[in-house]
Amino acid sequence: MPIIKHIRFGAFVREITMHQEEISYNDLAPEIKQDQDGNDILYRPGKLKVRAIDVYRLVQPYFKVRLIDQLKAVLPLAIYLILFQLLILRQNVTDSWVITAGLMSVIFGLMFFIEGLKVGLMPFGETIGNILPSKARLATVLFIVFLLGIGVTFAEPAIGALKTAGAIVDVESAPYLYSLLNSWSEVLVLMVGMGVGLAAVLGTLRFIYGWSLKPLIYMSLIPTIGLTIYIMGDSELSKILGLAWDCGAVTTGPVTVPLVLSLGIGIATAAGKGRSSLSGFGIVTLASLFPIIAVQILAIFVSFAETPEMIISEAASISNLSSTLSWHETTPYVELLSGIRAIVPLVLFLMFILIYILKEKIKHPGTIAYGISLSVIGMIIFNVGLSYGLSKLGGQSGGLVPGAFTKIELISESPLYNFALGMTIALAFAWILGFGATLAEPALNALGMTVENLTNGAFRKKLLMHAVSFGVGCGIAIGIFKIIFSIPIAYIIIPGYLVAIVLTYFSTEEFVNIAWDSAGVTTGPVTVPLVLAMGLGFGEAVGAIEGFGILSMASIGPIISVMATGLWIQWKVNKRREREDELVESLEGVDS
Amino acid sequence: MSKRNIVVLTDVALITCIIQKGCADTIVKAAQDGGAQGATVFYARGSGVRERLGVLGIAVEVEKEIINIVVATDQIDRIFEKIYLAGNLDTPGMGFMYVTPLEKAATYIPAEIADKLATEA
Repeated sequence: MPIIKHIRFGAFVREITMHQEEISYNDLAPEIKQDQDGNDILYRPGKLKVRAIDVYRLVQPYFKVRLIDQLKAVLPLAIYLILFQLLILRQNVTDSWVITAGLMSVIFGLMFFIEGLKVGLMPFGETIGNILPSKARLATVLFIVFLLGIGVTFAEPAIGALKTAGAIVDVESAPYLYSLLNSWSEVLVLMVGMGVGLAAVLGTLRFIYGWSLKPLIYMSLIPTIGLTIYIMGDSELSKILGLAWDCGAVTTGPVTVPLVLSLGIGIATAAGKGRSSLSGFGIVTLASLFPIIAVQILAIFVSFAETPEMIISEAASISNLSSTLSWHETTPYVELLSGIRAIVPLVLFLMFILIYILKEKIKHPGTIAYGISLSVIGMIIFNVGLSYGLSKLGGQSGGLVPGAFTKIELISESPLYNFALGMTIALAFAWILGFGATLAEPALNALGMTVENLTNGAFRKKLLMHAVSFGVGCGIAIGIFKIIFSIPIAYIIIPGYLVAIVLTYFSTEEFVNIAWDSAGVTTGPVTVPLVLAMGLGFGEAVGAIEGFGILSMASIGPIISVMATGLWIQWKVNKRREREDELVESLEGVDS
Repeated sequence: MSKRNIVVLTDVALITCIIQKGCADTIVKAAQDGGAQGATVFYARGSGVRERLGVLGIAVEVEKEIINIVVATDQIDRIFEKIYLAGNLDTPGMGFMYVTPLEKAATYIPAEIADKLATEA
């Protein structure tokens, strides 16, 4: 006889769904006690007790999100380079374990660095930007902005790549280039920093007075191109042009852009101007043009101070001496020192301003300390990864790609393909590398969003991203082309910028701002070292004197492509409007 | 002026969920899988548990996203649970959610559905 059990359907539903236990919030809320005078004793909550599982669940997503951001920037590029090397060039990746470890440390280093920057340095920038203008005169403010421009340049991770590149340059064939990157390297960074500082000052003034960007561009291009033409006249000196133009691209990275921008916008807001739709733009453009002038001036100065023979003999004597490296020049220590040197002065400078000039207390000192140590650690790890991962990988593929079309020592059966096909492969390789690397850059996504809002959707985010990436891809391909046929960089740069000037003249203010800034945005801390090293390796393999200049091509490319796209969109919008007008007119004609 | 008919919804409730910036998408997805029709997200700043976590507070964003989801009263528990699980709200610092009864709501309701329900009632 079966026993029939009755269950309430409601109870069954409750059983299969989740239990909701009810607690009265009144039981949890703290009781406010009073002291003898009847005043409330202020409630201070105690520290929470956290279980290990809670710590894991808190930290895991925090860590994961930040790790994935960096993985997305580094992995696709690395995989592309390695696959290209294996499949098209049929060469094994040498030192693959060193490179893998190096790339991992680039990823982790950037992750720590960016997070540290956000937690430790950005609050300084924002506080100073908000308070400084009301407490100091404009001249003082501008001076501080200038100093900050220098400070952030030293803290820029990609700057380290320049020094790494300096070691590869051959002193015999390009003595001034060697001298700039080795004995003058600190001065070089300082000059670049002064260029950035000056750009920050001008950019801030532009915010306040609402100047148009066009005349600023024309005026800064005149000395830049003028100096280039002067330097071209000297056959020894002309070899530094590639480096000078590349410096512009190196400066505008993850430290400079947000710090200088937050300061500039803060000042403009305090001055009662700014917060116009275009106020974040312009500084990046100037910060990528002024360092070019600064480096060119430094090179001319060096050419007066030293002769090529002096540099060569000096380099020879140094290389004889430096057979035994002192402890601070060997691997973990040199990265350690440069990491500390990059961040600590900037932090001290910001603290000095905050405490002595603004007389403000540092809020949340614990968090700030955590952020700063994180960014120093991140910088150190990134530096290690830079030399062993990015630069090595870039140099290796750069050195092997010419094997596709010409005879090189590293590949015994080279040339792998006939000249035309091999050349096409090499140029396609460069184009895809530039296109892909740019499309993956997170800063470009952010720029795309801003632009879509700014143009009321006329300039779609995707279209901008593709226009910029297309420009960078073409730029890098042209850069490779330039190295293969050793075309002097000025022959490409000067016409390129002339085209840009013409386009600037015809474009509206918005598109000029967007286009000129897009060039600086695209060259992040992963792309710069990789492309620099690739160019140098490539140049070495085809026997070119120097492999610089690719980055500068990658800067001019998007300027032209974005402005051209902008003009095209404008033309389309105008045409549609005309058509609508005609339609309205014809309808009105029917009505009457 | 022509007379217009307004269809008013009753038996509605509002689920509000405050989570860290960047988490809204997963939660809205979970709520929609659970039958929610739509969601409104806005940005805010909040504090509380973060300050009491000490060093771990760094892992909690100060900037928050607030999600408003209007649901039918029959759906409350299911969607409430979906959100709780999707947002890992049982972890300190992850967020907070609550349900508010609403008197009435109105929006676009497809005509055929409104007619059908009217005839049934």
